[in-house]
Amino acid sequence: MKITIQDLTKKFPSRNKKGKEVVAVDNMNIEIPSGKLVGLLGPSGCGKSTSLFMLSGLEAPTSGKIFFDNQDVTTLAAERRGVGLVFQNYALYPHMTVEQNIMFPLTNMRLPKQEAKQRALEAAQLVQIEDLLARKPSELSGGQQQRVAIARALVKMPNVLLLDEPLSNLDARLRLQTREEIKRIQRETGITTVFVTHDQEEAMSICDIMVVMKLGVVQQIGDPQGIYDDPINMFVANFLGTPPINIFKGEIKCGKVYIGNEAIMDKNVPDQKIYVGIRPEGFIYNPNGVLTLNLDHVEVMGRDKTIVSVHAASEKPFIRSIIDSDVAIDKDATTLSFNVKPNKVFLFNAETEERIR
Amino acid sequence: MANPEKNFFAKFGEKCKDLWGKFIGLFKKSEAKAQAAAEGEACTEQCGMIGTELTKREKFSRFLKAEQGWLFVLPAIILLCIFTFYPIINAFIRAFQQNYNALTGNYNGWGFENFIRVLKGDTGTGGAKFVQCLVNTVIFTFISVPLSTLLALLISVALNSIKALQRAYQTILFLPYLTNSLAMGAVFATFFTIVGTKNHTDTIGIVNMIFFPNNPIDWMQGGTGYTWNLGAVKIPWTKYVVVIVYEIWSGLPFKILILFSSLQSVNKQYYDAAKIDGASKSTTLWKITTPLIMPMISYLIITGIMGGMKQYTAIVGLFGEQMGRDYDMGTMVGYIYSYVSNGQMGYAFAGSLLLFAIIMVITVINLRVSKKRVTF
Repeated sequence: MKITIQDLTKKFPSRNKKGKEVVAVDNMNIEIPSGKLVGLLGPSGCGKSTSLFMLSGLEAPTSGKIFFDNQDVTTLAAERRGVGLVFQNYALYPHMTVEQNIMFPLTNMRLPKQEAKQRALEAAQLVQIEDLLARKPSELSGGQQQRVAIARALVKMPNVLLLDEPLSNLDARLRLQTREEIKRIQRETGITTVFVTHDQEEAMSICDIMVVMKLGVVQQIGDPQGIYDDPINMFVANFLGTPPINIFKGEIKCGKVYIGNEAIMDKNVPDQKIYVGIRPEGFIYNPNGVLTLNLDHVEVMGRDKTIVSVHAASEKPFIRSIIDSDVAIDKDATTLSFNVKPNKVFLFNAETEERIR
Repeated sequence: MANPEKNFFAKFGEKCKDLWGKFIGLFKKSEAKAQAAAEGEACTEQCGMIGTELTKREKFSRFLKAEQGWLFVLPAIILLCIFTFYPIINAFIRAFQQNYNALTGNYNGWGFENFIRVLKGDTGTGGAKFVQCLVNTVIFTFISVPLSTLLALLISVALNSIKALQRAYQTILFLPYLTNSLAMGAVFATFFTIVGTKNHTDTIGIVNMIFFPNNPIDWMQGGTGYTWNLGAVKIPWTKYVVVIVYEIWSGLPFKILILFSSLQSVNKQYYDAAKIDGASKSTTLWKITTPLIMPMISYLIITGIMGGMKQYTAIVGLFGEQMGRDYDMGTMVGYIYSYVSNGQMGYAFAGSLLLFAIIMVITVINLRVSKKRVTF
């Protein structure tokens, strides 16, 4: 099912009368094609969960519209939208068994008991918990509880599946496994799925479409690789990638990009103050390189090595550059020189932080 | 005849002396040991047997510390013994003594005579009838407790779903809890009473004014037209209505307080989840909310039933010390008091043991049932 979000805005009134109202989501416009896995990504407090709850119908938008296919569902009650929602802490009913939990949406639809049982079993098989049906939620591990929550959301065959921080309560290993699982389930069912996360790695790894948000405003929409390779502003560039992008203060003079007094590349735009963002993998070690960094130390990871260095113009305390482990580096050198890969260097206006193309 | 009672006390006294002696002995021993230990220490310095001596001393000081605790709880134990344990044990003993005289302490022989008289409905020189009291108490309790719990649940849910004036309503609903039950009973009685003579009534009472203005019923008097006779037991149903209405109402505040606060502690996300799952309002109430606060509901029902079985003051407040006409509104506790006041202690002892047994059986059943219902 295609989801269209038009000018969606959510304002929360302030606690005291004089205070300003809080704009949680500001003028959101997204079109989600049918059958895609979409990640809402942003730091905490950016309005991603509020957007999700507006999609589910639990929160009413202040203004704007939501369409499922061509039907306007903006004012439709949650139970009539046909959405499945997995809560951050799962919200499994503690007094019901796993089977009763999964069957609950079906009994509310007044399905015959036999059919409901059959469908609950199918949903349980999909998330591979069919042998836990008789247990109570308190007797399950976190990962199992999460599967039950997903099964409960899927059992009514929703048009849209919504997941609120689905992996945040799981340990690191389970998180990797579960995100693959979510991807698999989404592929198998073909349900349009929206999930919320603050973990860029998680979003990058499983999303078809990624929506990056900041303070209620959508920054960029696109496929993960596209956004990583072509960020629209400094926030997006900074938010994606581990280790994060290196940011330098710099300027453009006479068509050349300067960091300190070294010209690192050509750029044919008017002279101005800028920020230069260089991805860690955008450095090429070269003794005669254009950019000189003061070496702090080298971290060896096996597959590659990370050179940690400092520079007067850097916005962050350390600059991390990842190079091939075969490249020999003099660990006792005080300075190292690098060339840069032009497609890994992004220039941003110093005031607006918008990308200079 | 040998006085077994004296014998008992003598034995008890000896036992106490014995215990006390042991207790004092502990301290004396500890002093002696400390001295010995001090000497031992002096000795061990010479002999070099430090290890064993020290651990022995350590063990002993630990033992002393553990025993010290008894000294601290002694005041409470003494008070409990005098005012709780002794009367309980005493009641168990006296219940089996025939024709016990509270003034002289005389009795003639042991046996089940008291229990037989109580169960037969014998009243001696006057008092309530056991079966009547038992039936009254059971009916009052098992109608009023479930009804008032249900009502309290509905009110709490309603209270939980409003925002404006929630605090004010909460306060108003809690007020009856602070009111004296005798006073409440007296006020309730006026609601249901017809005041005046046959030819001239001053008032027919507020309940009759509202519901039966043309054919006022004298709720508090009952009478032949308003009584069902079931063999040995009479059911004056108009008076039953008064008591049950009163008990439901007076039980509400505490139940609302408990249920409301437990409702507030329910995670709101369950309601969101229920909404997404398409549960209707009533499904949410009965399938989600109620099971989630079931531990509190079952607590209220168990304590409510125990309290109901001990009901007394409200009946006196409503119907006076005679508890209606010839104790026809008597309760179990009322039964016991009716014999205490006229000195027939045997009935009172036997009655209280029977009440104890009945409450115990009901509580055990309650706990068994609630264990099945309250698990997650």
